[in-house]
Amino acid sequence: MASLTIDNVKKRYGQTEILKGINISIEAGEFLILVGPSGCGKSTLMNSIAGLEDVSEGRILIGDNDVTYASPKDRDIAMVFQSYALYPNMTVAENISFGLEMRKVPKEEREAEVERVAEMLQIGHLLKRKPAQLSGGQRQRVAMGRALARRPKMYLFDEPLSNLDAKLRVEMRTEIKKLHQKLGTTIVYVTHDQIEAMTLADRIAVMKDGEVQQLGTPQEIYDNPTNLFVAGFMGSPAMNFIPAKVVEQNGSYALELQAATPTIVPFPKPDSLKAHVGKEILLGLRPEMITEPQPHKEGKEFVVTADIDVEVTEPMGADTMVLTRIQSAEVNCRCNPAYPARAGEAIAMMFDTSKAVAFDKDNGQRIDN
Amino acid sequence: MSNVAKRQTSTLDKVLRIALYVCLLGMAAVYLAPFLVMLLTSLKDVEEIRSGTLLSLPSSLNFDAWSKAWSGACTGSQCEGMAPYFFNSFQIVIPAVAISTLLGALNGYVISHWKFKGSDVFFAALLVGCFIPFQVILLPMARTLGWLGIANTTTGLVMVHVVYGVAFTTLFFRNFYQSIPVELVKAARLDGAGFFTIFYRIILPVSTPIIVVTVIWQFTQIWNDFLFGVAFSGFDTQPVTVALNNLVNTSFGGKEYNVDMAAAIIAALPTLVVYILAGKYFVRGLTAGAVKG
Ligand SMILES: Nc1ncnc2c1ncn2[C@@H]1O[C@H](COP(=O)(O)OP(=O)(O)OP(=O)(O)O)[C@@H](O)[C@H]1O
Ligand SMILES: [Mg+2]
Repeated sequence: MASLTIDNVKKRYGQTEILKGINISIEAGEFLILVGPSGCGKSTLMNSIAGLEDVSEGRILIGDNDVTYASPKDRDIAMVFQSYALYPNMTVAENISFGLEMRKVPKEEREAEVERVAEMLQIGHLLKRKPAQLSGGQRQRVAMGRALARRPKMYLFDEPLSNLDAKLRVEMRTEIKKLHQKLGTTIVYVTHDQIEAMTLADRIAVMKDGEVQQLGTPQEIYDNPTNLFVAGFMGSPAMNFIPAKVVEQNGSYALELQAATPTIVPFPKPDSLKAHVGKEILLGLRPEMITEPQPHKEGKEFVVTADIDVEVTEPMGADTMVLTRIQSAEVNCRCNPAYPARAGEAIAMMFDTSKAVAFDKDNGQRIDN
Repeated sequence: MSNVAKRQTSTLDKVLRIALYVCLLGMAAVYLAPFLVMLLTSLKDVEEIRSGTLLSLPSSLNFDAWSKAWSGACTGSQCEGMAPYFFNSFQIVIPAVAISTLLGALNGYVISHWKFKGSDVFFAALLVGCFIPFQVILLPMARTLGWLGIANTTTGLVMVHVVYGVAFTTLFFRNFYQSIPVELVKAARLDGAGFFTIFYRIILPVSTPIIVVTVIWQFTQIWNDFLFGVAFSGFDTQPVTVALNNLVNTSFGGKEYNVDMAAAIIAALPTLVVYILAGKYFVRGLTAGAVKG
């Protein structure tokens, strides 16, 4: 167990800068998730932490040790790859114990360790097989087993579940979470999956083009995104960005939306809107904050009911997503399936802006911080 | 069930198919004929060769020519047959194949998994080596061997073959190792394995197909080599190809075609055996990917 500090790390391939000064710092035992679009440098950062790639600038600290120039084997890190990278010529047991063997652990201890890991991951019956004789999910477990056996200071997971089918992915997600709770080891984990990120992380780092856009707890990232990119990236369906005009009302400020008819909605931090009076901004409102009228919320401070024109409805089982359009922006509303929204008709919706955020239309930055 | 689709074979199709087989058999016969003539001739005695035709069968099986070719025929001034040179060839081929294959594997491993500044240039330069004609390096190589003090020795010939072969073996191994995922090496490095441990424990065990290909290729190349053999071998280190040439060109009295043919077959036998035993692995290895999943 060790804390991890990434201090202004830059990585260049020739002229192109892939990592442009990454600063991340997490406590020992924390679960850090890296998310971001393809090609933003997540794997490059993981490889840098592991020592498989040299960084061009900056420092990496594990605990209090500066490991920027340490070789991979001296960093005491284990990594699980998306492709699992099991040694094809070795049996499962040999795969798991290879790292121990390289570290000159005596044979009896290695065998005991393989047994312990196999039991933890329920792969005891597979120990004599070769990787080619395993299913995807079993390979994934073995890859985890190989990482677990060495009891390293830190685990790196690069999209470990992305090759599994949806059901198995959910199962493994839970197991990884349990494992982390049990071992309490520091983990850095890359994923493209929103839900994986939200459920597993102690902290999420949202990356784009080699830069960290925001580092925070899942709830912070979800409720309080620093810019349009982060807001749009986390959450499924994504946060709605509704064009709205800042208006002055009774000495305070509010927002005017073009629903079926122009509607004024209040904003939690009205004073932050002052500089934008008369201008258009983007109101960030999660789909679950636009629902069918709910009697118990009626009359509350940030709740406004207005008609919308229904464009499409998408039943998802537990909820039905109702799509409308406010000016040119598509807006998702999360409704009770029993609510009789029909495409082409107008229907009342309840807008709850108590958690709403506002973005500058031009540069995408938050304006209500 | 009258609408089951039947394969339509018209008379024309059949005729074409028969024509195809006739063509193929004809071609096979053309390619096999020389060998057949050699074999038949080697089993006849000189009298029978003079009186009969090329393709007539020998009246009785007569292995005299074979035993003479093996241990009695004269190659220049010596009359010990092909046997000593046959073993000379093995003494050249075995170390040359082993060393060039091993070096090729190491080179390929470095070029595809331990890239360094300039490794692509290094590989490109090696590729050029595949296209350098034998003749071009004869004189420089002779000088080099002289400097090294290994001119006219088996060691020298082995070195020539290794140097010339490494370009090919590296190409083979590089292309094969290119298909081994880089993560495999990364995982092993994190597990604490070093350069040679990874090579020996992870890479080599999955390399069997390409090792087979390389060994067959190098074996036939080096065994069949004549030019390097004639240029760089000493009097008693000549390979079998050179001895065969000498044997055929040495004649006291009449030409013994049966002995010549037997000697030629003996000289070709190891490569034939290799092809027959391992030919299918050659094709398989060339098309094999390294690692699944
Ligand atoms: N060896 C290399 N030479 C040059 N550019 C590279 C090299 N390796 C990666 N890159 C570039 O670095 C960028 C980041 O790659 P990286 O693999 O870190 O992305 P990623 O965030 O992991 O993407 P994904 O989600 O698709 O895995 C990419 O644009 C890639 O083209
Ligand atoms: Mg990646």
